[in-house]
Amino acid sequence: MEKILDKKRLGDWVDALADYEVLAPAWEEDAWGYQPVNGPIRLDHPNTKQSPKRLAFPQREVFFTFEQIKGEAPRLTQTLPEAPRHAVFGVRPCDGRGVPRMDQVFNDYVEDVYYNTRRKNVAYVGLACNKPPNANCFCLSVGGSPVSTDGLDVQMTDLGDRYFVKAVTETGKALMTAAAGVFAEPSAADKKQLKDMHAAAVAYPQRAVNDPDGAPAKLKANFKSPLWDELARACIGCGICTFLCPTCHCFDINDEVQSKAPLKGQRVRTWDNCQFPDFTMHSSGHNPREGTGARLRQRVSHKFQYFHENFGMHQCTGCGRCITECPVGIDIIHVVNKVAANAA
Amino acid sequence: MPHNIYLPNLARVIYTKDEVPGERAIRTFHLEPMNGGWFDHQCGQCAMLSVFGRGEALISIASSPLVKGYKQFSIMRVGRVSSAFHDLAMGDVVGIRGPYGNSFPIDDWRGKNLYFIGGGCGLAPIWPLITTAVAQRADFKNITVFYGGRTSRDIMYRAELEKLRGSVDVHLSIDKAEEGWDGYCGFVPAAVMDKDPNPNNAIAITCGPPIMIKFVIQNLNKLGFKDEHIYTTIENKMKCGLGKCGRCNVGKDYVCVKGPVYSWAELKYLPEEY
Ligand SMILES: Cc1cc2nc3c(=O)[nH]c(=O)nc-3n(C[C@H](O)[C@H](O)[C@H](O)COP(=O)(O)OP(=O)(O)OC[C@H]3O[C@@H](n4cnc5c(N)ncnc54)[C@H](O)[C@@H]3O)c2cc1C
Ligand code: SF4
Ligand code: SF4
Ligand code: FES
Repeated sequence: MEKILDKKRLGDWVDALADYEVLAPAWEEDAWGYQPVNGPIRLDHPNTKQSPKRLAFPQREVFFTFEQIKGEAPRLTQTLPEAPRHAVFGVRPCDGRGVPRMDQVFNDYVEDVYYNTRRKNVAYVGLACNKPPNANCFCLSVGGSPVSTDGLDVQMTDLGDRYFVKAVTETGKALMTAAAGVFAEPSAADKKQLKDMHAAAVAYPQRAVNDPDGAPAKLKANFKSPLWDELARACIGCGICTFLCPTCHCFDINDEVQSKAPLKGQRVRTWDNCQFPDFTMHSSGHNPREGTGARLRQRVSHKFQYFHENFGMHQCTGCGRCITECPVGIDIIHVVNKVAANAA
Repeated sequence: MPHNIYLPNLARVIYTKDEVPGERAIRTFHLEPMNGGWFDHQCGQCAMLSVFGRGEALISIASSPLVKGYKQFSIMRVGRVSSAFHDLAMGDVVGIRGPYGNSFPIDDWRGKNLYFIGGGCGLAPIWPLITTAVAQRADFKNITVFYGGRTSRDIMYRAELEKLRGSVDVHLSIDKAEEGWDGYCGFVPAAVMDKDPNPNNAIAITCGPPIMIKFVIQNLNKLGFKDEHIYTTIENKMKCGLGKCGRCNVGKDYVCVKGPVYSWAELKYLPEEY
């Protein structure tokens, strides 16, 4: 399904999605973030600071509650999410490509019902990048593209005073059908303009990982390279790089106690981070990833080697967040290129 | 509703025994599943145990798969969850989910000589193998157990080990000589060399502190044991047991799913991240 949407009617489309909570990028305090839409909606943002990954994988979620009266068996109550249906607008192609990567992790071997319950309630309405919105975008070199539809339900392309809107999935079709009246049929000129804009978007220069196909073998060969320590020397272990990454999925599970007698509490999952020393520290005190070099190697090798070895694709989608937001300027493109160029 | 992988079953503590005293005490538990929450397991697999309000820890199932009705665990007091287990009383109810991980290929080992080499808390993960082999004694040739603790008070499963004598060669060792100790004095790798085990038609299974494992394997190689006939386990920190929380990997493999059991032939090619 392909349609034309007059920019002035974007609000009408959003209003028609009464079954959904609609989110779109908005400027909040000091950054772009996804906010519930109430009022005019504009899609002229660079990328958001956080990706939309938390809609399916929130920072903190309760698995179940427990309650125990002394001498009795504990009572467990599952708290499966009653996730509202979300339609999230303005999703950039790199973040769209993050979605199937997260799906892969949370459904490998066994399914994660918390993730899947939320995930199936999110519709991703993408916005193609007419030109890379960020100086550190490198989607093209990791198999993506500024006009990729991978992971999206709908792709919108800004044609100036109107959007070209394309349904990618059945969910996307339903979103468009819900507001059939606001769309117009695309003319031959609209289609030509779309084609030209997409061609220009793909031709726009970007930063690049030099040899993405060779990266897994090169990283593997350099596992013991002293380069890792050298490249990670400035790292302060803040974890910003992974918290902001659309494909980082590591988590912790802990019990939170509200009352001791009778025992009342909940088991919660929270995001965790491979850049923290105690992430892998054994109870003996032994740590298989001692030092920032080993932890940078883990982050970069997961993105550019291990995930590829397991699933045949790079986990990194080239959004550039970890580069832009790192307080000490550690740059994953530079790291991969530097290590891959090293004759191990 | 699909199965919720994070929701534990309930199990009752029906037996406890203090194995080893001291700061890092080891205590053994038998857990009886409640509400029909029984699952079968293989030798070497683990279960995620929890004390509600304190959290979860992955623990090796120390009983043989042949034992039905309860599962045995031996837990060392080292942190938050393990200490909570030490504070439990008979009849208390805990959480259990599993089984997790791969297992020892015991069926491939029938007709062979078996050498078990354990140190410290490392007897628990191989105990199901030892007790299964003993229960099916006629299927195996010689069975030898080397096991060492720092002092004589650190020897776990002491009574059970003594009972094996007769059908199994049991060699106990302690690090330093003590009054009244008639076993070997010295580290486990040396205790193994002292008996000069024969690698012919033999499998060696070792589990214990990483440093012990390292020297045991070096010595086994010196004795002529082939890499593919040496087995061990890795214990990386784990939270989910399901290949999702992302912390237990060695290279591309999540140890909670692909491990914890590895032959040295496999392990030696994996990156040293354990
Ligand atoms: C495959 C496998 C099998 C296992 N089998 C068994 C078993 O049979 N029996 C058994 O007892 N355990 C076993 N363990 C270990 C077990 O899973 C837990 O790691 C252990 O019980 C500690 O959990 P805890 O919650 O008590 O400790 P935590 O409270 O998590 O404390 C340990 C953690 O806290 C930190 N920490 C605590 N104290 C210190 C310190 N002094 N210095 C530095 N850091 C510290 C470290 O980050 C450490 O990882 C096994 C682990 C694996 C992976
Ligand atoms: S690794 Fe960095 S550039 Fe790649 S997807 Fe994650 S945050 Fe974006
Ligand atoms: S954002 Fe930079 S400093 Fe912080 S953990 Fe990541 S690489 Fe290290
Ligand atoms: S314990 Fe979570 S991935 Fe292995």
